[in-house]
Amino acid sequence: MAPWILLFTPLVMAAAILFVGLRSKTLAAALAIGGALVTCVISWWLFLQPDPITAKIDWINLGAILGPNAPVDFAVPIGLSIDALAKSMLVIVCTIAPLVFIYSLGYMAHEEGYCRYFAGLSLFLFSMLGIVLADNFVMMFIFWELVGVSSYILIGHYFRRDSAAEASKQAFTVNRIGDFGFMLGILMFWLSTGTFVFADLAVENAPALATLGASPFWLATACVLVFCGTIGKSAQMPLHVWLPNSMEGPTPVSSLLHAATMVAAGVYLLARLFPVLEGSPGALTVIGWVGGITCFAAGLMGIQQNDIKRILAYSTISQLGYMVLGIAVAPLAGVAMFHLFTHAFFKCLLFLCSGSVILGMHHKQDIWEMGGLKNKMPVTFVTMVIGGLALMGFPYVTSGFYSKDLIIEFAYEAGWPWFLLALGGVFLTAMYTTRLLVVVFFGGPRSEEAKKAHESPAVMLFALVMLSIPAICAGFPPIQKRFFEIDHPHHLPGWVPIAIMVVLAVGIVATILLYRGGPKKDPVLIPFFANRLYIDAIYAQIVRWAQDGTAGALRFFDRWFIDGICVTFGAKLVSAFGFTLRFLQVGNIQAYAFFFGAGVVALLYFLVAR
Amino acid sequence: MSPTGPLFYLTLLPFVAAVLVMLGSPARLVSRIFSGVLLALTLALCVQYDRAAGGMAFGSELPVSESLDLSLRFGADGLSLAMLLLTAIVTVAAVWVIPPMQDRENLFYACVMLISGGVVGAFASTDVLFFYAFHEVALIPTFILIGLWGSGDRRVAAWKATIYLGAGSFVLLLGILGVYLNLPDGVRTFDMTFWRNLPQMQPDFSLPHWVYWLLLIGFGTLISLFPFHSWAPQAYASAPTPAAMLHAGVLKKFGLYGMLRILVPLFPEAMEQYLNIFLILLCGNILYIGLVTIAQKRLDWMLGYSSVMHMGYIFLGIAALNEISLSGAALLMVAHGLSIAACFAVCGVVRERTGTLEFADLGGLAKPMPRLGLLFGFAAMASVGLPGFANFPGELMVFFGAVGAGEVFGPGFTPSAIQIAAIVAVWGVVISAVYMLRAYRRVFFGSMPERWARLADVPVFTRYAVILLVVALMVVGFLPQLLLQYVTPSVLP
Amino acid sequence: MEVSLAHYLAVSGLLFAIGMAGVLLRRNILVIFMCLELMLNAANLSLVAFTRFHLVDGLPNFNAQVLVFFIITVAAAEVAVGLAIIVALFRKMQTTHVEDLNSLKF
Repeated sequence: MAPWILLFTPLVMAAAILFVGLRSKTLAAALAIGGALVTCVISWWLFLQPDPITAKIDWINLGAILGPNAPVDFAVPIGLSIDALAKSMLVIVCTIAPLVFIYSLGYMAHEEGYCRYFAGLSLFLFSMLGIVLADNFVMMFIFWELVGVSSYILIGHYFRRDSAAEASKQAFTVNRIGDFGFMLGILMFWLSTGTFVFADLAVENAPALATLGASPFWLATACVLVFCGTIGKSAQMPLHVWLPNSMEGPTPVSSLLHAATMVAAGVYLLARLFPVLEGSPGALTVIGWVGGITCFAAGLMGIQQNDIKRILAYSTISQLGYMVLGIAVAPLAGVAMFHLFTHAFFKCLLFLCSGSVILGMHHKQDIWEMGGLKNKMPVTFVTMVIGGLALMGFPYVTSGFYSKDLIIEFAYEAGWPWFLLALGGVFLTAMYTTRLLVVVFFGGPRSEEAKKAHESPAVMLFALVMLSIPAICAGFPPIQKRFFEIDHPHHLPGWVPIAIMVVLAVGIVATILLYRGGPKKDPVLIPFFANRLYIDAIYAQIVRWAQDGTAGALRFFDRWFIDGICVTFGAKLVSAFGFTLRFLQVGNIQAYAFFFGAGVVALLYFLVAR
Repeated sequence: MSPTGPLFYLTLLPFVAAVLVMLGSPARLVSRIFSGVLLALTLALCVQYDRAAGGMAFGSELPVSESLDLSLRFGADGLSLAMLLLTAIVTVAAVWVIPPMQDRENLFYACVMLISGGVVGAFASTDVLFFYAFHEVALIPTFILIGLWGSGDRRVAAWKATIYLGAGSFVLLLGILGVYLNLPDGVRTFDMTFWRNLPQMQPDFSLPHWVYWLLLIGFGTLISLFPFHSWAPQAYASAPTPAAMLHAGVLKKFGLYGMLRILVPLFPEAMEQYLNIFLILLCGNILYIGLVTIAQKRLDWMLGYSSVMHMGYIFLGIAALNEISLSGAALLMVAHGLSIAACFAVCGVVRERTGTLEFADLGGLAKPMPRLGLLFGFAAMASVGLPGFANFPGELMVFFGAVGAGEVFGPGFTPSAIQIAAIVAVWGVVISAVYMLRAYRRVFFGSMPERWARLADVPVFTRYAVILLVVALMVVGFLPQLLLQYVTPSVLP
Repeated sequence: MEVSLAHYLAVSGLLFAIGMAGVLLRRNILVIFMCLELMLNAANLSLVAFTRFHLVDGLPNFNAQVLVFFIITVAAAEVAVGLAIIVALFRKMQTTHVEDLNSLKF
């Protein structure tokens, strides 16, 4: 029963806000936060249970309708499976969510659509829990779409801003493209194995996979198709464009959905699929390359952004790239999940800090209008530095170090190109994080707002402080052992960890040297990076010419050929025939009588005389 | 068998309402009461229906012509009941959205009730000729509604739709007569149940293939099968809201229902032989019409095209011809009827309030009309197949059924035609997201022209109507098994 | 000389021909109308003649005579309607000449 309560509490809260909560801001917030706290308590309780928990109901079951002699037995269960993987993910989601909900109390206090916002957050929590608890592909797909729509609602929160409206639309559409592959992958698995339940696909229960596993090409195809879902949801190249744009949403949303939990769902999916992926080196190669390229290229784009949230967004993409790479290179899914775990805390923290900065700056987001905030916003400053160090993977004292270095070390074992990409990622991470911290908090104020900046309310700072604890210690080995089963590379040369630290140090020091002294504008200008490698522009052109152009041409064809020539012209032919016949209407009654008589005679002749 | 039965009276109900309204009783009240009773009775019939036994129930037969074996036969199985329920729900919603009118209000309500009566009759009758005739009954009031109360180029739209559909119906009639005349001597009948069972009773019986083509084109025109679709968008764009809701929502389902009931059982060979042509046409519905929908510049045209596009999924379900896909198709028929009716209801409010449906003129309407924006959000999300709404399980089962109908996986697997069509259909989900979200964004989000700042929100009864449709969609979406229990046993040929 | 069926039919045919010629050739709509009646009565005449000469068991077959009465009755009604139309037409058009009544011409 507890898993069902866990799953449906947020949905009930979302519905309650929609029906009764719209009248009162306090009630709406209370309902949402209450729901989140309930899920938090239940999830920790479930985490402490020693055994996996399962529960199942039938959503669709044709066999039950058609009886035992039915020719098909098609059933889609809504099944909850709470195994070790789900438990750790559950704890991440349900610990961060209440903190972000509480933080929102302060951040959203003076915003419009307050109740709508909390309804959206609750709906998101429901959908996210569905993904975590799902025991089969179809159910995961269902909730996959639902997190997509909650993300759509929340990104488009400020729907009157054109940019927000566009961003939410883009996020949904791009995710749908990923889901296209995901759906095909599910169909592929079902066609070849007759099941889409994760437990039946695990390698230990190989019989279900026997047919598919026999042909490596189709196994890899199926895995890569499912991986398309990850590409969309976890913003991997080439479908990463929506995530930076999703920063149009309120900052807590960016923090919860677009940094900590929702975007990590793609990695979670891969971890779920890991037993199958292990059997397909081809699929792992594709996944590794996508992850590696993403973690490097997103870093490149990140070092030249000026919007505080966009910098963090590219950093999220980059870190998700690490996780995806981790799936490809490590012998256990726990490695990637471990980075997901630590990343969730410190990235959530970073976003909430940036939200605090934005609020203090009266909704200015350009880092080149900030500066010198460390004295005006001390708590935010300290926590953000903690988050930033964790993001860079500062050795030994931050959580990011333990998880990220592990992935890089495995990448070294897996192959040079991936290792170099990952190492480059470390350098770039150090650069953009240091640049962000230095420009925002040091130097002198660069605008009026920066001069008048103020620290945020206590309810927000509470969340920051709470999150900075796991940002430091979530990666420490004792904690890691409690959550994830991981393995360390066995034949690692001693210089690799040192190389990572050196690269990190070089990145930090070089950036500090570049940006020291509080420059008024960016001393480094690389348009290729600032314009996001022109990928967005290329996509815009593709949409414009390939999609809208074709659509416009087809519309023309439909209007003028199918409807015009084939239909209307056909109708005109008939009316032309009728027009010709009009000449028989001479308008003289005696002529009509004569025709009539002649007709009678002719009829008589044919009927009688012949 | 008794000459009249519950379905006979059920069919009579809207006609009585129409007559009463024309005789001058208060139109709004009478229509609301009668449509409410219609819904209640249909629900009662659904509850009464013995699902375990299955098959046709509530039968009645009123002989008309002994020599032709033509009778006013009624009967319903799970699929008919599902369609009747859809009709009743959409009728209630359509009656609720009719705005107050100055003159000829009674004629308007009478026409709406006549459409409803025609559709109820078509879904309830098991005599092919009456099945056909009831559909024609519903077409005439549609013509009147579009011609008298339509918007834009309403005369052209009304004539075009009516003549096009009339021509389609004529082809369909030829097809029906073709079947009738080719029946073995001594068993010539218009009894639909007999037609359905014929291939099983006489396995060597087969019909000439031209009859298949007549029926396919006839039904196809009524359902707007590509390339016989061009009547639909214009007619829906011009039609007054209740007419568009009823026509797109339920009257169009007549053709699909007919395909499931007549075409599929009678032509197992022809379906297989011409499968590839059918697949190409339905991919035209999904891909070609989908792209055309993207390029639309008006909300009403966009919705009209989208309803044409969604037929493609249902065709795919029919083409795959297995339990999963046909159940999915039946589910989608109900789901599409509800969701497109909700979309048109919202669209009607936008037109009424702003006087325009051009995307270029609209924007940001969710600010002055938050409730309408929310309702359109529900309707749009339902129609793009978001889980939680009935369209999703329908599409899902169509995909699974279509993939399962193709080649079985094994060494040297290459996808067969229907599996490729399924891939196209899955891509269609992306396309529908593109156009629906674009429309939502252009109408309700973004910056708002100043003149819309003082628009009133959605009228209260329209709100109830859309909520009714959305609730029905969500009930089926959360518990598809509820509806599948009815349709699955009765969709198989 | 005995008057045979052929004589009756000849007279009937002649009447019909006169009526038809009148319908086709005359210009005044009233005259056309009368010619129409002439044609009807030509048919009546032949029907009566058939009755008289088609004996069954020594008795005439009265079916045709019944038909004649029908025709007379219907013709009377038709005259009433027709004349009413003509009067209405004359009021509107101020003419009874068929050449002037050509508004149905394309």
